[in-house]
Amino acid sequence: MQISITPLFMCHLTMPYPLRRFLGSSLCAALLLGAAAPLLHATVDDSVSFAYEAALPYYKQGYSIRKDAWGGDLAVHEKKAVSIQLFKGNTYWFLMATEVKGATLSVHLYDDKGNLVDGESWQKGRFAGARVNPRATGTYFAIVQILKSSEDRTTWALVYGYK
Amino acid sequence: MKNFPLIPLTAALCAFSLMAPLSLRADVAPKKINLSEFPAAAVDDVVVPVPSEIFSVLDKLGNPNWKVQLRDGKVRTPETPSRIAFLLGNVIAEGFVAVEAEDSERVKDIGRQVLKLSEGINVKKSVITRCKSITDKADQRDWKGVRSEFDGALQDVRAAMDELNDHDLSQLVSLGGWLRGTEVLTAIVQNGFSKDGAELLHQPELVNYFDRCIGSMSPRLRKDPLVAHVRDLLRKIGPIVSESGDSITAENVKTIHDLTKEVDGQIVTGGN
Repeated sequence: MQISITPLFMCHLTMPYPLRRFLGSSLCAALLLGAAAPLLHATVDDSVSFAYEAALPYYKQGYSIRKDAWGGDLAVHEKKAVSIQLFKGNTYWFLMATEVKGATLSVHLYDDKGNLVDGESWQKGRFAGARVNPRATGTYFAIVQILKSSEDRTTWALVYGYK
Repeated sequence: MKNFPLIPLTAALCAFSLMAPLSLRADVAPKKINLSEFPAAAVDDVVVPVPSEIFSVLDKLGNPNWKVQLRDGKVRTPETPSRIAFLLGNVIAEGFVAVEAEDSERVKDIGRQVLKLSEGINVKKSVITRCKSITDKADQRDWKGVRSEFDGALQDVRAAMDELNDHDLSQLVSLGGWLRGTEVLTAIVQNGFSKDGAELLHQPELVNYFDRCIGSMSPRLRKDPLVAHVRDLLRKIGPIVSESGDSITAENVKTIHDLTKEVDGQIVTGGN
C-alpha cells in the first residue's frame, strides 16, 4: 500500500490539509494552555494511521484510497457533517477511525436531501465504515459521530476509497 | 443492516448478544436527517476529487480514447507563482490522463515536469521521492500505483506549500488540476454524448468551494489576471453545473469545454 506512515517529526509535511489545519489550530491552543503539543500531534496522526489501517482490506479489493482526508475532534454524541462530491458509477467506501482505545464511532452517508444512502455499514470498536453506490452524481454528506469514549474530546480521521 | 422488525424481539436480542462480540456491528442510523441542522457543525474543508475518480466512471460508460486527450509538448516554468501553482495542478491532472492512456513514457515525462515546476515554488524536496516512484511504477506499468503516486504528489506539494504559509497557492494547485480534469471530461463526453456522462459535471458544491477559496485570497492574488479570469469562469460554469445532473445538455458540455480549454491554454502558455 502506498500510504506511508511518516516518522512523527515529519508528519506535518505529509498530513492532508484539513488535518494539518486542524493540527495547526490545535497546536496553537495547546501552546496557549501550556499543554504538550507533541502528544497532540501524535494523537491526530495516529487516528489517520488507524483510518488507513481500516482502508487496507478495501485497497486489497481494488479500491484506490485517496491520500487526502478529513479529521478533527468531537465530544461524545457530537456529530459533524463532511460534504463530498461523489460520482454515479463509482463505489465508495468511507473509513473512519480514532486512536482512543475503547472509543466507538460511526459514519453514515446521506444525499443532499438528507436521505440515508449507505449501501452497507459496519462499526467495530475504534473503526467504522460505510459503502455507498451513488444513484446520482452530486454532493453527499458523511455524518461522523463519536458513540462512546473515555475522553472529553476524541480525535477522528476519515478517509475514502473508490473503484 | 438487519431488518429487526421481521424477527421476534427476544430472539433478536438473544441472537445479537451472542453474535455481537464476534461480528461487525452496525449502529442504527436515521433514515432521514435534517441537513439544515448541520451548517454550524460542518467540516468546511472540501476534499477535491482527483481526475481518476471521474475517469474511472468514463471507462465504465464506454471506451474513451485517452491518447488523443494527451497534451503535446513540454511546459516551461512560468515566472509568476500563481501560474506555477495552476500549472503544477494542471500537469499532475495530465499525469492521470497519461495513466488512463497507459503511456509510460508520457507518465515519466510528466513526473519530471512535476519536479521542475515544484522547484519553481520551492517545494521540490517534498516530491522528489514521489517523482522517482512515478518513474519506477510507470516502467513496471503499475498503473494503480502511478495513480496513487500522482495523488500523493498533489498532497505533498500542497502540504509543503501550506508549510510555507502559501495556502492560497496551495488552493490554486487543486484548482489547476480540476480545470484540466474538467477539460478532458467534457472533451470525452462531447465525443459520445450521454446523459450519464454529462451528469458527471453536476458538481455545484465544488465549484462554489473554489469560488469561495478565491474570494478569501489576498487582494493582490485576487487581482492577478489569471486568477480573476478563473473566477470569472467558475461563475459562468456555476449555474450550469448546479442544474440537476440529467438537465446538463450537449450544448452545456461544449460551453464548459470551451471555457476550460481556453483557460488551461492560458495556464500552459501564459496567453502567448
